[in-house]
Amino acid sequence: MTTAAETVNNAGSALAISKVSKVFNKGNENEVTALSDVNLDVHTGEFISLIGPSGCGKSTLLRVIGDLTGFDSGSVLVSGRSPEDARKERLYGIAFQQAALFDWRTVSKNIELPLELAGWDKARREARSAELLDMVQLSEFGNHRPWELSGGMQQRVAIARSLAVDPPLLLMDEPFGALDEMTRERMQNELLRIRVDTGKTIVFVTHSIPEAVYLSDRVVVMSPRPGRITAEINVDLGARSETTRESDQFFHCVTAVREALRTHDTSGSFTSSHRGEV
Amino acid sequence: MSATRDRISRGSVSFLWVLAGIVLIAIMWELTKLLGTVIDLPFNSTDQAMPHIWTMFSAFSMPEVRGSETTVFQAVLSAATYSLLLALGGFVVGVSVGLLLAIIMQRFLFLERGLLPFVIASQTVPLIALAPLIVGIGNQISFGPIQWSTTYSVMFIAAYLAFFPLSIGALRGLQAPSATSLELMRSYAASNNKILWKLRFPASIPYLVPALKVSAAAAVVGTVVAEISTGVRGGIGRLMVEYAREASSQPAKVYVAVFGAIVLGLVVTAAITAVDVLLTRNLPKKGLA
Repeated sequence: MTTAAETVNNAGSALAISKVSKVFNKGNENEVTALSDVNLDVHTGEFISLIGPSGCGKSTLLRVIGDLTGFDSGSVLVSGRSPEDARKERLYGIAFQQAALFDWRTVSKNIELPLELAGWDKARREARSAELLDMVQLSEFGNHRPWELSGGMQQRVAIARSLAVDPPLLLMDEPFGALDEMTRERMQNELLRIRVDTGKTIVFVTHSIPEAVYLSDRVVVMSPRPGRITAEINVDLGARSETTRESDQFFHCVTAVREALRTHDTSGSFTSSHRGEV
Repeated sequence: MSATRDRISRGSVSFLWVLAGIVLIAIMWELTKLLGTVIDLPFNSTDQAMPHIWTMFSAFSMPEVRGSETTVFQAVLSAATYSLLLALGGFVVGVSVGLLLAIIMQRFLFLERGLLPFVIASQTVPLIALAPLIVGIGNQISFGPIQWSTTYSVMFIAAYLAFFPLSIGALRGLQAPSATSLELMRSYAASNNKILWKLRFPASIPYLVPALKVSAAAAVVGTVVAEISTGVRGGIGRLMVEYAREASSQPAKVYVAVFGAIVLGLVVTAAITAVDVLLTRNLPKKGLA
């Protein structure tokens, strides 16, 4: 694991995606170009968000990076390796909109699951899960069952689990999408704290413009039919604080992302279909 | 811990309801007989056809045959135990085969398509047609010194009935994990066997427990029916046939055998309920089971 992390540091590139295309249902009448000529470089320690309307391929791109789905052409390098090798070497952790915790395991045992599969012994697993529970401030809930926790707490456990093997890269697919607004903002702050503590590279898929701006160093705007990257907006807000969300700069960035989303809305249906989701 | 105690206390409450139901049936039985003495019922309610409850209970302590040492109760008890063992054997074999089939069908989609129709078709063959066939083929089998016995045929028939509900339930259960859970396991580079053991199998428990209940009941029914159609002695099925022959002289005896069959069913159900409590103790209360 350390050697992998060192390689990443030396290369400085966490993710190198070049000319990637992916077509669903190729050759039949339902053919959809999910990704078309996607280029994206993410350097080590960077936090990027993928944002765009439904069907723009942001989740597909995340799954290509995680080798949860294949791609048709182009190249993807995760920490300098093919996505398949990166997955098999457990170089990334992933969190989804559903916490997907296993009901039959305690909270601690859920966090230990990836460690069991990576072959860690019991003592190391327990020490690691205690450490991670501490990080997500759920120390006293280790022996609870997942279904006894609130949605926000479950998502914190899922994040702890994604960090379990200490992978250099974190993939997050709308992890806060099902949470209420207050919990969501608290979770965003918590994620930023974890990011500072761990120095992970994070690729974050979201529907929410303010969320993308608040969390990211760079917001990658995508557009559907075919799914492609249409704009990249650097967010230069410095360290986030209580007042960040109310600052003019923040508002300025949110507007920039919103305009980028609108500009590239070639179908004309984006504004109406997307309003409800933001 | 307290959740387990909760379930046990809920279990005893439902046991009391069952008991109340039995008492109610007994009362209705006697009321029907009483009614039969007043008006003409469309069926025979004489002591010959419907013996009094107390006659049935007194039949428990009758000698099994005139002058014998063993009572009817002892005979029924030992027959029920014998049948229980056969049913248990059939159940274990049936559950193992059912589970194995489910695992194979889940792992290889083409086998699900290929096997499932046969699994379903297997249950459409009438047991009465199957029993002599199984006995006939079975009796020709021998593994070295081990000779096939007709009791194996009974177990086979019990297993034949028991494997079906289990394989269908287990297959659904093994396919129950969400796409997200499966992607999670893939992201951990988990092998198919690890996915089976750490995700699919535990996720199938809420489907498996009801399937086990149906399978257990099927194994008991299969055993009793198979005992009758193969003519195996010693079990409750055969006993019922024998006692039915004596119905003209001792009508209450048949009912004692029926009680034996009912107790057999209850013992099996209680055992499965215990397994249920054990397996689902860590799951949310609103399970499928």
